[in-house]
Amino acid sequence: MKVNLRDRRLFGDTGLVAGREIRERFRGRLFRGVTVILFVVVAAAVVIPTIHSGSARSQRVGVVPASASLDSELHELAKRVGVSVEFVDVSDLAKGRAALDAGQLDLVVDGARKILVKSPLSASNTSDVARYVRAVSVALGAQRAFAQAGLTPEQAATVANAKPLPVESIQPVNKTPTTAEATALIGVIMIFIVLTQYLTWTLMGVMEEKASRVVEVLLATVRPTQLLAGKVIGIGAVALTQAVGLVAFALVLAAAVGSNLVHGAAPFVVASTLVWLVLGYAFYSWVYAAAGSLAERQDQVQSLALPLSAPLIFGYIVSLIGVSSGSASLLVKILAYLPPTAPFAMPTLVGFGEATWWQFMLSATLSLVCTVGVALVAARVYRTAVLRTGSRVRLRELIPTLTQ
Amino acid sequence: MPNRPTYPVIRGTCRRRLWSGYWGTHAQTSEPTPKQPYAAAVAGVLDIDSLSRRFGTVTALDKLSLCVPSGQVVGFLGPNGAGKTTTMRAIFGLTDLDAGSVRWNGVPVGPDQRRRFGYMPEERGLYPNMLVAEQIEYLGRLHGMNNAAAAAGTMRWLERLEVADRATSKVEALSHGNQQRVQLAAALVHDPEVLVLDEPLAGLDPTGIDVIGEVLVEQAHSGRCVLFSSHQLDLVEDLCESVSIIDHGRLVASGSVDELTATGARRLTVRVDGDREGAWARAIRGVTVSEVHGGEVRLVLDDSTNGDAVLDAARASGRVTEFLFERRRLSEVFREAVSR
Repeated sequence: MKVNLRDRRLFGDTGLVAGREIRERFRGRLFRGVTVILFVVVAAAVVIPTIHSGSARSQRVGVVPASASLDSELHELAKRVGVSVEFVDVSDLAKGRAALDAGQLDLVVDGARKILVKSPLSASNTSDVARYVRAVSVALGAQRAFAQAGLTPEQAATVANAKPLPVESIQPVNKTPTTAEATALIGVIMIFIVLTQYLTWTLMGVMEEKASRVVEVLLATVRPTQLLAGKVIGIGAVALTQAVGLVAFALVLAAAVGSNLVHGAAPFVVASTLVWLVLGYAFYSWVYAAAGSLAERQDQVQSLALPLSAPLIFGYIVSLIGVSSGSASLLVKILAYLPPTAPFAMPTLVGFGEATWWQFMLSATLSLVCTVGVALVAARVYRTAVLRTGSRVRLRELIPTLTQ
Repeated sequence: MPNRPTYPVIRGTCRRRLWSGYWGTHAQTSEPTPKQPYAAAVAGVLDIDSLSRRFGTVTALDKLSLCVPSGQVVGFLGPNGAGKTTTMRAIFGLTDLDAGSVRWNGVPVGPDQRRRFGYMPEERGLYPNMLVAEQIEYLGRLHGMNNAAAAAGTMRWLERLEVADRATSKVEALSHGNQQRVQLAAALVHDPEVLVLDEPLAGLDPTGIDVIGEVLVEQAHSGRCVLFSSHQLDLVEDLCESVSIIDHGRLVASGSVDELTATGARRLTVRVDGDREGAWARAIRGVTVSEVHGGEVRLVLDDSTNGDAVLDAARASGRVTEFLFERRRLSEVFREAVSR
C-alpha cells in the first residue's frame, strides 16, 4: 500500500486535527451534559418572563349596577394601578357572586355597598387583582365619605383628583431595561459561560496531549502550527455550533411563546453576541493553547489558568455591572476597544444602542489584528514548550526563543 | 486469523537457534557463518550526519554520524543518557540541532519525507480516551492515507499484531503490552519506508516480544529501513543484523553483529564433571574465568594461549562434557565499547 502524498485533504492536516477534535468533543459526555443544561437554562430564561407577563391579563370586573360614570371611574383607577380591566354588567349582587364563584369574574364591584373577591386578600398580596381591589375600595369609600360630608360632585371630584406633591430623587431614575439591554445581559453571560468552558477545554486538551506524549507522535508528521491551529479551530467550531444552536433555539422558542427577545433591536444584539463570541474565542484560544503547552499536570494548569482568566473576568464583571445599572459607564466604553475585554463590553454597548457600526467595526478590527499577533507568539511558545517534559516550562525560559 | 509470515516463527529460548537457521548456518561450531541480509525491495539509506545538540551544559549529541541501510534491522544501543532518544527525535525534527543533518537517500529529511516514516517514541503516545481503530486510522490519515486505505491498514496491522479484538476498545482499557502493540500498529499503518522505534520491546512479555520481533524482521526484509533502540541486548543480538553503539553522544562502535562479536579475545565454554566452579582453569596462564553458571565455565583466552592446552588441563581435572569456542556476546561488546 503506497501513501499518496498528493491526496491532499480539505484544509490539509489542520482540517484532520480539527475534525478529530470536533468528533471527540461532540462524543464526550461532558459536552452533552453541559449542552443539555445550557438549553434548559435558555428555555427557562425565555419562557419564565412570558409566564410572568401572562398574569397581567385583563381582569374581568362585574359591575352592579351598570353605570357609565362608575365604569369610567373604575377604568381610570385601573389605568392608575397599571391593570388591564374588562367590565361585565351584572344585574344583581347574587348573580355576581355566582359568576365569581364559577371563575367567570375576578371581582364584583357593587358601587353602593361592597366589593366581592373570591378569596381573602392578605396584606402581603401584591398581585394585580389585589392592588386594583385596594385602589377601588379606597376610591369608592372616599366617594361615599365625600357625599356624606355634603360636598358637591365638583368639590368631590377636586378632592378625589388631588395630585400628590412630586417626589424628586437625587439619584438617576432606575429605568426598566429595554429588550435589547436584557438581550445584551443574556448575551454577555452566555459569552462568558461558553468562553470559559471552551477555553478550558483548549488549555486542558493541549496539556493532555503533552502529558500523554501523543504530541510527539503527531509532531513527527504534522507541523506544530497545524496541530495548534487544528485544535483551536476544532474546539472553536464546537463552541460556535453550541452557541448558534442555543441562539437559534432561543429565537424559535421566543417566537413561539411571544417573548420580546425577537422584537426591536434585540436581533442585532444577538448577532453582535455571536460575532464577539467568535472574536473572543479567537483571541483567547491561542493564549490558552500556548499556556497548555507549558504544563503537563493538572496542578500546573490551575496555576496558569488564574492569571489568564483575570482580564476575561474583569471585562465580564464590568460589562455585567454596566448592563445591570442601565447605562454604559466610561470604563465600559473604553474596554469595548481593548481585545481582551471587548467581547463583553462591545455587546453591552450594542445593547444600549451606544455603538455605531464603525465603532463596532473598529473594535472588531483591533481584535482581529491583535489576535494575529497573539497567534504568532503563541505558536512559537507552543512549538518550543510542548515537547519539553518534566517540570513546568517557565516563560522566562522561552524568552531566547521568542526573541530570535 | 492474521496472515502468518513464511519464515520460521521465533519462540522463547529457541529464538537464537531459529534465527541462526533462518540466516544461514550458525553457531554451535567454532566458525559461525555471518548473517546475510535479504535483498531489499526498497533500497535506501538513512544517513545521520554529524549531529550535535547541547542542552545547557550537557552535550547530548557530539558530531554523531551513522548510516542505517534498508533491508536490515539495525540496533541502536547505548547506556542511559547516551543520546539515543535525542537522535531519534532529531530524525523527526522533534528537537532542534546545533549542527548536522539527517538525509534519506541523499535528500535532507523534511515534512514530506517524514510522512513516509514511522515512529514509536520511548514514552508511548496515544490518546487514552480514543478508540483503538479510530486512533490508528487518524494517524494513518495524518500520514497522507485516504479513509479507505487508513481503515484497511488499521485492520491489517491490528490483526497482524493480534489485537484486532480490541479495535473498538479505548486505549486506556488495554494492558501495557497491548498498548505497545497498538503503538506499533500506529507506526506501521502507512507502511513506512523508515521505521524508527525507541525501546519497542521494553516491558513486553515473551509472546509480545515474539510478535513485535517478527514484525520488525518482516519489515526489514521487505526492504524497509528499521532502526530500534533497546537495552535488552540478547534480543538485539537475535533480531539485528547490525548495531550502532553510542556513548556520550558519540558513536563508539558500529558494524554487523557478526563482525562485532567475532572480534576480540577468544571465548571458550567448558564443562568438566566434578568441578562446577572451574577451579581447574584458574591456574592456567593466559586464561581468565569470566563467568561460571550451572557448572558451565566461560573462559577468555589471550592471544598466546593455545586451546589444546586448555583442553588438556580440563581433561586432567575430570571428564569434559562440553568444550565450545564461542563468539563474544553483544553485551560484552557493549560493555567494552562504552567503558573506553
